Amino acid sequence: MNTLNMLKETPTRNSIPLCRGEFATLTEALEYAATGETGTNFYSGKGELTAVLPYALLRDQARSLARKLVGLGLKRGARFALVATTDPDFVRFFFACQYAGLVPVPLPAAVHLGGSQAMVEKLRGLLRSSGAEAGMADPSFISFLSEAAAELKLKHVGEAGYFDDLPETKEPLRPFESNEFAYLQYTSGSTRFPRGVVITQQAVMANLAGITGPGLGLLDDDRCVSWLPFYHDMGLVGCLLAPLASQRSIDYLNTRDFAMRPRLWPALISRNRGTISFSPTFGYALCARRVRPTDVAQYDLGSWRIAGTGAEPVRPDILEQFAETFAPADFDRRAFVASYGMAECSLAISFAPVGKGIETDLIDADVLGDRAVAVPADDASASVKEMVFCGSVLPGHELEVRNEQGKPLAERRCGILHVRGPSVMSGYLNAPQATREALSADGWLNTGDIGYMVGDKVVITGREKDMIIINGRNIWPQDMEAVVEELPKIRPRDAAAFSVPGPQAEETVVLVVQSRNTAALERDQLIEEIRRRVHQEFGIDCFVEIVPPHTLPQTSSGKLSRSAARRDFLQRNEDFSSSSVPSAGQAGG
Amino acid sequence: MSTPEYTRILDEITAILERFINKPVAVTEQTELVNDLGLDSLLVMEILEEVEDTFDFSFPLNNLSEIRTVGDFALQVQKEIGG
Repeated sequence: MNTLNMLKETPTRNSIPLCRGEFATLTEALEYAATGETGTNFYSGKGELTAVLPYALLRDQARSLARKLVGLGLKRGARFALVATTDPDFVRFFFACQYAGLVPVPLPAAVHLGGSQAMVEKLRGLLRSSGAEAGMADPSFISFLSEAAAELKLKHVGEAGYFDDLPETKEPLRPFESNEFAYLQYTSGSTRFPRGVVITQQAVMANLAGITGPGLGLLDDDRCVSWLPFYHDMGLVGCLLAPLASQRSIDYLNTRDFAMRPRLWPALISRNRGTISFSPTFGYALCARRVRPTDVAQYDLGSWRIAGTGAEPVRPDILEQFAETFAPADFDRRAFVASYGMAECSLAISFAPVGKGIETDLIDADVLGDRAVAVPADDASASVKEMVFCGSVLPGHELEVRNEQGKPLAERRCGILHVRGPSVMSGYLNAPQATREALSADGWLNTGDIGYMVGDKVVITGREKDMIIINGRNIWPQDMEAVVEELPKIRPRDAAAFSVPGPQAEETVVLVVQSRNTAALERDQLIEEIRRRVHQEFGIDCFVEIVPPHTLPQTSSGKLSRSAARRDFLQRNEDFSSSSVPSAGQAGG
Repeated sequence: MSTPEYTRILDEITAILERFINKPVAVTEQTELVNDLGLDSLLVMEILEEVEDTFDFSFPLNNLSEIRTVGDFALQVQKEIGG
């Protein structure tokens, strides 16, 4: 088509002075960006530019659409669910909601093999939790969304066109003000027991100012590139809102296109001289593993000054592998920037300094395991662990390491990280109990992460909440256990989910399941069924171990102890991590 | 459903799958991609790349959710390339 040939990506250099997130609201940030020439650009799975949405056009389209959405008669603050595919419609609807006083709720847009029912149920759970009154999805997801919404009687569900066909109202728009909601985020929560993170305009703007200012120090020549999904905090806040709040252009790849052809990522950075791109560690691993060695030299990654990483434990060995692979393309390992954050703090909590690369702390692993103290390794250390410094907390925020009783700990002592400051969420939507557990009356957020401080630099060592992290995605063990416990003959507390290092040191999910059934055939069928269900719901393979009743350890209060279950599993299966690929589904116990 | 076109697609897909899996499993029409082959979502993507390149088409994402067996996979491809 001729129109496609005429598309031109938005420029890197802008015509207006750079302002790093100093705005009261998202619409104020967009109004300023709209006076410049930069914007968002979308690329296909073949690496071709398919859509361009400059901020100026986005502002006009979002305002027009907002006038139509106002006509729906939803009350101010009503939730608007958006299945978050990587396309201009999502961006347009997200900002139309801002102008119309509706709270956008990005929903996951990822299906797995044979997983249509699981997708519908996931969406239904999120629609119910958010209390969404309207929903939009692209043609590929609308059937899932409609089915999920059917039982809930949402007032308006449709593709973009359904809403675009509505008449514009004449009333003046009343965009969200700084003390109102900005969006509702579900990424890091459990899908079975979803918790919507409430982020206000103030909170997200404070975080955006921190990210684009002191955190990364964005410059006039910066251009962003992203394949992260918009339903993930790093994709939404880091790769949509941050470029917009600093008037930078950004080039998008669809997450699924990246997963299928990871080389599109370095190719796109080369094409437009991108300078900033973030990924969880697994994205770097995937890209390094799948790139054709003969292709590397054709890329030019010399412009890439911030290769950010976060969302899962930062692995220096994997990043080094990436740097070596792409050295012929002029990739500079000093571009790596380790970061730490979570949706409950809008996105970012800390960044390592830009331009220094990954800086690590070599500590004695035995002392860490025995006494929870990170002592620098020396010649006497039998086992050494390389930990990554994730920088100091954003200005205006505080970070503390505390023990289980809430007492602050000294430097190099491991404890639970707590953060306080303007970027922290207001709470979880309609979940006062969960909110009280996470957020203290004086504003401290319990991150649930374990770590220690060296000076003002933070190091993350693990999760308190038994969170399983696979490919940058948080999976709550109780979600996985719930899937198993729905099976006939399996009772509550018969399953324990956790992850262990697999044969190639990659995280592998293990499910230990108690069953009274001793017949080999039925046991094998049970294993098959569990793996099928886990795959449909989570898109990952797991290792299932069937054990006799009363095998799973409990805490003194009668709760499942996942850490003890994991320890016991590793004792029963000593060679699990070192053996050849485990035939997932082998029975043990 | 056993048209020559379908058989050709099935054979190609079987060959691709056999290259990607490191398990001693015979791939047939009834083989289940998840339960028998243990494909995780990233490996599925890698296989899809091969399949798209082999048949020169773009696979609609939501169709994935309807695929369980190798035969389902071949049928979906046949539908997309209009064979």
